[in-house]
Amino acid sequence: MSALLETQALVFGYEGAPLLPPISLRLSPGTITAVVGRNGSGKTTLLRTLLGLHSPLGGAVRRSEAFVPGYVPQRTALDPLVPLRVIDVVSLGADRGWDFFPGAGRRKRDRVLACLERVGMTAHLHQRFQSLSEGQKQRVLLARLLAGQASVAFLDEPTAAMDAVAEAETMRLIDELRREHSLAVVLVSHDLPIVRTLADDVLFVDRDLHVALHGTPKAIFHSAPFLARYGTEPGR
Amino acid sequence: MTPTEFLEALPLFRDPILAGGIAGLCLGLLGIFIVLRRMIFLSAALAQSAALGVALTFYAEILLDAHFNTAVGAVACALLAGGILLVSPERLRTTREALLGLVFVGAGALSVLVGSRIAQEAHDIHAILFGSAVLVRAEDLGLLALGGTVSLLFCVLAWRGLLAANFDPEGARVQGIPVGALTTTLFLVFILLHALATRALGMLPVFAFSTLPAMTALALTSNLYVAAVLAASFGLLAGSGGYVAAFFGDYPVGATQTLTLAGLAAAAYIYRLARRG
Repeated sequence: MSALLETQALVFGYEGAPLLPPISLRLSPGTITAVVGRNGSGKTTLLRTLLGLHSPLGGAVRRSEAFVPGYVPQRTALDPLVPLRVIDVVSLGADRGWDFFPGAGRRKRDRVLACLERVGMTAHLHQRFQSLSEGQKQRVLLARLLAGQASVAFLDEPTAAMDAVAEAETMRLIDELRREHSLAVVLVSHDLPIVRTLADDVLFVDRDLHVALHGTPKAIFHSAPFLARYGTEPGR
Repeated sequence: MTPTEFLEALPLFRDPILAGGIAGLCLGLLGIFIVLRRMIFLSAALAQSAALGVALTFYAEILLDAHFNTAVGAVACALLAGGILLVSPERLRTTREALLGLVFVGAGALSVLVGSRIAQEAHDIHAILFGSAVLVRAEDLGLLALGGTVSLLFCVLAWRGLLAANFDPEGARVQGIPVGALTTTLFLVFILLHALATRALGMLPVFAFSTLPAMTALALTSNLYVAAVLAASFGLLAGSGGYVAAFFGDYPVGATQTLTLAGLAAAAYIYRLARRG
């Protein structure tokens, strides 16, 4: 299967100082790659580098022609003061490049409504985004990602601040969407049991140990650096 | 003055009513993005800088015994202030608010200093600082109408892009939306309109037009599209209606326009508090 995005010995960091050892990754359609590690270990910076928002210090990032990124940032990245409704948030996600001029929004309306229906948020179309629960907000942001016809979904801690039920529902939805749309998903998460269940491969990063290990969940969760950091494998 | 007398005198006051309406409508709309970006005092700093530009132009006329267009001085000083405010505050170990404060007090003090050297234009300087001008020159109205048209066109065409850039800047960049170009253009249009409106109407009402209508509208509705229409309407109402009210009450124009908007904002916040209560 051809990769949508591939990195070779990617080095990233700030002001010339690498955060982690070189990373080689391959994102294929329909797969979930989980990025795990402590806070401040460079997970979000890695995502931003893969998205092209941050310049790499070394190595290569190859994006195929089918690479269409969709990004769900951490919840604090969204401005709570902007009074957007659910339908506005998803409509804005349908724009690409300079395609935000008047009239373009109407053409995309059917797609936007279909995406909202898929994530079960049709009843909340005109509700203010900020008034939704965390689980509902994630559903809307996933609909925004679908409306943008993304082929790779970059999800930065999508279940943060959710209760257990909302978290399970959100992860189930992410899994369904990646199957239906052959999405390649890059998932930053602290929920290791869920990562163990859903991820096809895992990237474990740790700045203090200076490691960036990539492999199957089983291989990573049994690795010495992981056990040194977490003490035991998840779910035990 | 009676309404009949006002109608008879309308040709004389048509231009300031139009200028107030145009500035209120356009700055009210642009103000939505300024308020949402938490940059309300950008407006104060720009208006103060534009006023300084006008004062410096008067001074240059006296020194060089020549005639210059005061709008050019206003735009140049506002652009210079905008340039200072674009410097990364982190590099100076300070905050954006501190830079805004520096520009505001620096330009204010310089305006007073320059004003003290041009006694014969003191009335004009006072009018520009406090917005007490009763008349607007046709030349200033024309430039303001041009700036207003540009700003309206920009808002209509770039509305969705600006919203995306405000709500989730990184998400918008990932979508390929030109966040940097849109933000720079927004500030340039804002600076241009600010300078032209300050020259025509004065600093105080221009600061009010670019902040209070948006604050009022955002307090009244959760729908940003409705908020935009409301903000433009409040600005238009205060800009034109405030002038008429000042005329009948024999009050200073800029202060009346500003108080009209401040009253609307206070009413909106009371409404918001009552609904929550």
